[in-house]
Amino acid sequence: MVAVSQLAASFDLTIADTPQPGRLTLMRGDRIIVLTANEGLVSVAGQLVALPSPPLERDGEWYVPIDFIGSAVALVHDEPVELRRRSGLVLLGAVRVPQIVARYQRSGRQSRLRLMVTPATEYVIEQDANRLVITLDADALDLELRDVRPDPLVSGIQGVDGSPALAIDLRENFGSFAATTEPALGGAVEIVIDLQPRPAEVTRAGPPRTPSPGSGPGPNATPGAVAVAGETGADAGLPVLSELAPRRAIRAIAIDAGHGGDDIGTRGPEGSLEKDVTLAVAQRLRNRIESELGLRVVLTRTGDSTVSLDERAAIANNDRADLFISLHANASVRETATGAEVFYLSLAEYGDEARDAGFTGQLVPTVGGGTRVLDIVPWEMAQLRHADQSARWAETVADELSLRVPMSPRGLQQAPFRVLVGANMPAVVLEMGFISNPDQEAQLTSTTFQSSIVSGLLRSIIRYRDEIASEGTPVAPRDAVPPDATGRSR
Amino acid sequence: MTRQHWLYGGLGAVALVGIWVLFVGLPRWYPPAGTETTAAPPTAATPGDDGLVNATLFYISDDGMRLVGFERPLARDADTAAQARIILEAQLTEPPTPLLSPIPLGTELRAFYMAGQDAFVDLSAEVTLGHSGGSLEELFTVYAIVNALTTNIPAINAVQILVNGNEVDTLVGHVDLQHPLERNLQWVADPNTAPSPDDQTDPL
Repeated sequence: MVAVSQLAASFDLTIADTPQPGRLTLMRGDRIIVLTANEGLVSVAGQLVALPSPPLERDGEWYVPIDFIGSAVALVHDEPVELRRRSGLVLLGAVRVPQIVARYQRSGRQSRLRLMVTPATEYVIEQDANRLVITLDADALDLELRDVRPDPLVSGIQGVDGSPALAIDLRENFGSFAATTEPALGGAVEIVIDLQPRPAEVTRAGPPRTPSPGSGPGPNATPGAVAVAGETGADAGLPVLSELAPRRAIRAIAIDAGHGGDDIGTRGPEGSLEKDVTLAVAQRLRNRIESELGLRVVLTRTGDSTVSLDERAAIANNDRADLFISLHANASVRETATGAEVFYLSLAEYGDEARDAGFTGQLVPTVGGGTRVLDIVPWEMAQLRHADQSARWAETVADELSLRVPMSPRGLQQAPFRVLVGANMPAVVLEMGFISNPDQEAQLTSTTFQSSIVSGLLRSIIRYRDEIASEGTPVAPRDAVPPDATGRSR
Repeated sequence: MTRQHWLYGGLGAVALVGIWVLFVGLPRWYPPAGTETTAAPPTAATPGDDGLVNATLFYISDDGMRLVGFERPLARDADTAAQARIILEAQLTEPPTPLLSPIPLGTELRAFYMAGQDAFVDLSAEVTLGHSGGSLEELFTVYAIVNALTTNIPAINAVQILVNGNEVDTLVGHVDLQHPLERNLQWVADPNTAPSPDDQTDPL
């Protein structure tokens, strides 16, 4: 309970001079509050307001529950009045004090700080020596820290005095960070900051694997070793195609906006075109990847142009993308069909061709004299080498999306999709939803839904990148000659 | 036994006969044109003694998310290619409600031929021009044709779809049609969720 005389002084309320037994009148201008002792209902500017407990009168002083501020005083005050019970803050006037609930998680060698900011507020993150400082566009912060404990990367997290900022004190093991922003319920936004150890830490932690004789190269093998393995394949047996994919760090992402130009894709009942939705999401995703992850982005089309399916994969190959995602919107003759679906290439349709084709390296002359072995990849075989990683990448995408958008009953599937066949990197097709469903058409064209899709994809890229980085030392760019669009292989 | 008892017994017998006629007799005398089946028909079309064969065709389920197998009696032909044409022509026709065809109506079979165990199905341009354009729908279109042939005719192992006599990359931008495709029941309703045989009329 709080004394009414204190509230009157703080909120410029006038206590009426003509006291009546068991009744108190407060005034602010022509707005009146009438309290009755031991009555839970209060008259506020002509309205009845219920309090969680009735006012009390003791020795001439009146006491009211703290909620009286938000439910009664706020109604008679000229300026906004907000009571925050959790933090004990009372905000008077148009001040910007976002609530921030900070949760800190440790997973493997990486750490993650999640900041739920209500309402959504712009922010910047700066690294200052051994501190990361997150500064919000606000007058002050209403900060709550949960589960925050020191760990090998972080020695402490606290608010910054005199500034609407939060500081993360870093240890020597800290290497890099990546931040993403995701819309949340109630006008809030969640800032997710992933903290990584130094690369040297990763290398030490991931012991190199030794390839077993005749089994093809291990994860740490160089591309040259891939080709040598091919030369000895007659004695040792052909390596499994999926083991031949060179393991690399994730530096570039290929985003394929499905359809385009003359090919509109499918059309929603309100006339929305698949090709427009896919391009809009592709551009949003590119912006977020470049600004928040600092990775290179390859777009297979940047405008309303016609691009063949094989050409899309060829663009990704030629620009040495490390991951490929093709964006689409689904359609059904049934309006009720709904939900997102993630596809990776099914192998059954290509199994015989893969066995028949074999996989051998070829000696080619080099500019400086001599020869080197290159693995020549037939177009139809390009994706097969990445089958395992595509499955893993697809699973990660489906997993992250399922937290943000409705999924179809079959959220993760395999299918013989042409656009995936020639991609020489882990590749998936994402059907973001059914544009033939009126509700989903509205979602697919909305900023909120597109942002949710983009956030899910961004998170899946981070997860996938971090997982493969923690499993072994990345290998330098591939020597395998990627297929191109014209010759299918070169 | 009183006269009243005889009266009640007679009425009961008449009622039983009526029930038998309604639920057993009529379905036998006037069989339906087809029967929805469970998902994974593992065997070839079943020949009958009347020059007909029970073939499984594939249509879109009422929720739009699956294909369902549907048995229809079709003319029997000893020639594999001729039998395949009969099955394809039936697959291209409209199914009974509430099922929907996964193949755009108006699509015609232009040609059919075989090379070894691979079948080649040449369809008219309506298969792409009348298509909704969704990838799931395209999977349904392709695998309704592939499964209808490979499920019912053991001599056919894989099917390649052509459009207007030409090889195509895809129908509407998704499913790879550059080579013959084998039977794939991934999108066919799970037998556990499909109507049970008890719910269906007697097979022919």
